[in-house]
Amino acid sequence: MSLYFGVPILLVGAVLQSVWLNKIRILGGRPDLVLLLVITWAIIRGLNEGTLWGFIGGLFCDLLSGGPFGLWTVSLTLVTFIAGQRWIHRLGPTSMRLALVSGLGTLLAHTIFLALMILLDYPVAVGRAYATLIGPAALLNLLLSPFSFRFLVWFHQRTPQRSEVNL
Amino acid sequence: MTRQGRPWLPYTLLTVALLFLILHEAGALGPFENLLGLVVAPVERGLSDLITGVGNLFQTTRDVRVLQQQVDELQSANDTLRVENIRLREQYVAENQQLRELLDFKSENPTYSLVGADIVERGSDIFPRGKVVGEDTNPYLRYFIINVGSRDGVAVGMPVVTSGAAMVGRIAKVTSHLSYVQLLNDPSSTVAALFQGSRISGMVVGREDGSLVMTGILPDEEVDENEIAITSGVGGLLPRGLILGQVESVSYQEAALFQEAVLRPVLDFRRLEVVVVITDFNRPPVEEFEEGP
Repeated sequence: MSLYFGVPILLVGAVLQSVWLNKIRILGGRPDLVLLLVITWAIIRGLNEGTLWGFIGGLFCDLLSGGPFGLWTVSLTLVTFIAGQRWIHRLGPTSMRLALVSGLGTLLAHTIFLALMILLDYPVAVGRAYATLIGPAALLNLLLSPFSFRFLVWFHQRTPQRSEVNL
Repeated sequence: MTRQGRPWLPYTLLTVALLFLILHEAGALGPFENLLGLVVAPVERGLSDLITGVGNLFQTTRDVRVLQQQVDELQSANDTLRVENIRLREQYVAENQQLRELLDFKSENPTYSLVGADIVERGSDIFPRGKVVGEDTNPYLRYFIINVGSRDGVAVGMPVVTSGAAMVGRIAKVTSHLSYVQLLNDPSSTVAALFQGSRISGMVVGREDGSLVMTGILPDEEVDENEIAITSGVGGLLPRGLILGQVESVSYQEAALFQEAVLRPVLDFRRLEVVVVITDFNRPPVEEFEEGP
């Protein structure tokens, strides 16, 4: 069961996002560690395990936020739900698919997040968010996806896989 | 776990996630968040300390470290002196005003016998000091997380300040071990304020780009650059006289009803390490708000 290591990885990932990555600026933005991890796991293990990781990763991110509880949980669960679909796994070789889904998944997750914030009446500068935050984050997640893939494949190979996904 | 085996799982998780959002908006998730917060808080604090420690190891040479320390100390001393200066000005301007009024009162009532007195006791509250342990994972909010919570007497709405009387923000959410501080420049932050010198009042709000603006200034009011904006205490939610920022520029458009003053924060919010939560203060009596001017 991937949750034995999934829960600690996602908890540490969310805390690192809060205490460390928020201080970092690369290309004007910062990577979204938890988002990257859950998308990568959805690519590796498919729909069920992907959404489960998305849900738990979202919970941890929401616990470290003063904003509405559930924003991250909904966004990450929905994105992993899409990233774990069978048709995604027919998009080409793993490396290309991973990079594509990491970049586009980041854009989609933040778009869902922003839409929910706007729905809940939080003031957000949408154009500025895409230019200064979401764009750089998508690019960084795309660039970092091979590293998260290598990291999670190590765990993938050490846990029983009964998923339908072939890498 | 296979997709064929549990086809309902992703849909259930999506539904539960949406339920969280709805229940949070309905205010029914507090105990659940507190319970999970007990797991996250020690990890957050532990990793924060670890990262701070590792960060210190990466200071390459001793000289750099010493110089950095000196710069930090000077910066800190400068911030403290600036804040202290503003605080003293506020105190003496107010005191001067009060003494003048007393003098007027004495001149207008020459037959009265008066005895001067100082206020010697305003209550002795011990304010919880919080260490900043992390930032909010929501990148669209300007919040940070401190390591004091409801068990330390912290509650939602309490003002958070640094040494001196510079306001940092307000408590937006509390768990038993952690609190989330909404910074002054968060887009949802609004504080009733006035300028220290001219006593012009308005509202200090945060903007989406991170700037701090005082709005609601009447068009015929004259605002000087470098004026200091402080909390007005109107509404009784915040103490009067906490420093918010200094006027950088003033703008007024013909079509607008009010002027706006862009404020320069007196603090660098990114460099904050330790803050103080004001858990109680002397509120003006309710009648003061009810009677109006």
